Amino acid sequence: MKRIEILNFKSPNRAPLIVEGFLFGEESKGPSVAIVGAMSGDHINQLYVASRLVDYLTHKEEEGKISGKILVIPAVNTYALNMGQPFWPLDKTDINMMFPGYAQGETTQRIAAKLFESLQGYDFGIILEGRRDQGMCLPYVKLIKSGYEDLEAAKDMGMRFIHYREYSPIETVMLQYNWQLWGSKALSLVFGKNGSIDHRSSGEVHSALVRFMAKHTILDVSSFEGFSSNVIGPEHITLLKASHAGIFDSLVACGDTIEKGDTLGRITDALSGKKLEKIIAPLGGIVTCQYSHPLIFQNSIAFRIASLN
Amino acid sequence: MSVIEEVFSIDLPVGEQFRIQRCRYTPASGETTKRISIVSGIHGDELEGQYVCFLLGEWLRANPEKIKATIDIYPAINSLGIDSITRSVPFYEVDLNRIFPGSKNDFLPAQIADGVVSAMKGSEIAIDIHSSNIFLREIPQVRIAKSQAQTLVPLANKLNIDFVWVHDAVTVLESTFAHAMNTLGTKTLVVEMGVGMRLSKAYGHQLLDGLLNLMACEGFLDIKPLDVRMPIQSHVGEVAYLNASGPGLFVPSIEHCQMIEKGSVVGQIVDPLSGQVLDEVIAPIGGILFTLRAYPIVYEGSLVGRIFGENE
Ligand SMILES: [Zn+2]
Repeated sequence: MKRIEILNFKSPNRAPLIVEGFLFGEESKGPSVAIVGAMSGDHINQLYVASRLVDYLTHKEEEGKISGKILVIPAVNTYALNMGQPFWPLDKTDINMMFPGYAQGETTQRIAAKLFESLQGYDFGIILEGRRDQGMCLPYVKLIKSGYEDLEAAKDMGMRFIHYREYSPIETVMLQYNWQLWGSKALSLVFGKNGSIDHRSSGEVHSALVRFMAKHTILDVSSFEGFSSNVIGPEHITLLKASHAGIFDSLVACGDTIEKGDTLGRITDALSGKKLEKIIAPLGGIVTCQYSHPLIFQNSIAFRIASLN
Repeated sequence: MSVIEEVFSIDLPVGEQFRIQRCRYTPASGETTKRISIVSGIHGDELEGQYVCFLLGEWLRANPEKIKATIDIYPAINSLGIDSITRSVPFYEVDLNRIFPGSKNDFLPAQIADGVVSAMKGSEIAIDIHSSNIFLREIPQVRIAKSQAQTLVPLANKLNIDFVWVHDAVTVLESTFAHAMNTLGTKTLVVEMGVGMRLSKAYGHQLLDGLLNLMACEGFLDIKPLDVRMPIQSHVGEVAYLNASGPGLFVPSIEHCQMIEKGSVVGQIVDPLSGQVLDEVIAPIGGILFTLRAYPIVYEGSLVGRIFGENE
């Protein structure tokens, strides 16, 4: 394992921002993959999975099991992580909204440019992503249709769901889109709840990463088969919204199979304690995602249900 | 006639509503389908537009007989943000101006965006007033995507601003309020002026004159057009960006909005710890310094100024 400095960026007063990468194996031996962890300061779960992977790969390398090239960058925005903030602490910009970066531009554009440069030339690119809302979800593969995406590679993760969809305008400045355009087969694994560690989904993502690397002969280990992935689009997702604001209790877990008529959650008035609402499943399916903050806003999405009808 | 209306309201978790209000001014004869929307506060840390809204409201209250069509004033879109020095939508930390047109079926910021679009849809013209951010001070200017230049530049020229900046289309800007409204057929201008968290009174009065002139020319007000300044047009020259070469404290050497010569010193980057001057920021071209950094802490890459220089 080689510990490399991806970037070293000076600050006016605090210690420099140092982004480190952990490099295993060598290119000449087989396919290559780069894995990017926490780009935001609240992506703790992503940091956890990435650092755990570094430790795992360190042992596998000692056992001579690395048959390709692997780069893991556990954390990009360490400044934000150390302050309990999601974004770049000075101007609150999101590094994952700055790609492909610009070496002559603003600070976070320069950081993105340096990072992006270090990610070039890999066969596969994996982004460990947190959510962009107050939700938590069943781990899934997010794959956008840039025209350069590789659905078959996504299936090799063996995750239960692949959310395969058109991209929105803001995604054109995010890493997945740009990484795909620049020739790596890039995808995102979205999981967990921002600001916390969920051991179950972290374990699932770790297994998926190992399985993927084993299937692509980057890692010489045996791994269990995962799911035969369900490729779903927005048309397979039903959104259940909260009609009221208040205190939110969920009665189900992500991944639960539910039937039409099941009570999934309830909302009570935050001041009077009055029961305002039960959220009832209008159809059967699997809970893929749910609101995860105890206070909910009116019309917030409380649950997302995947179903095939 | 004026009436204050709530155009969007949604319950917050604990005993409060998030609301967007507007003040609607109509001719004595009643509402007209022809209407214009004046908008500010999509970013909660930008307050210059609040002052312009006040000035315009004050003028309209004093001159009700001059109103020929419906004039809507929305001073505070991100109302939670404005009352708490928060640029983005609090709780979600999402830039409201990156999720338009929004959706009723998505999280709170997207619902706010959808509420804004629903309220203003059908307006003939919308003026979206921004004040840069807390880092940079800007001269009054309108920014227009190239694809919209033909329709919007003539309108912008009526606004009594100093600079019209036509820029290349960028996909990410398709999620802005202006893009969403222009797509729906409302001619929407984005004004940037002043600096975040502060008021620049003179700019407020300058834009008030521009709004009155535009509304006179476009049939909203029964007054004579004003004598307004003709803005510099970006296509006659080039914009040079001045980025900090390294971290430190940026100390400007000249005032904002000055004409400067190529090679002159715009400011210094200094180190308070060692007492050393780390770098001088030099003007790469001559022209007008239309952007100048207001917040002194810089990192490598931080924008410290922009110069517009006319081609020879
Ligand atoms: Zn703004």
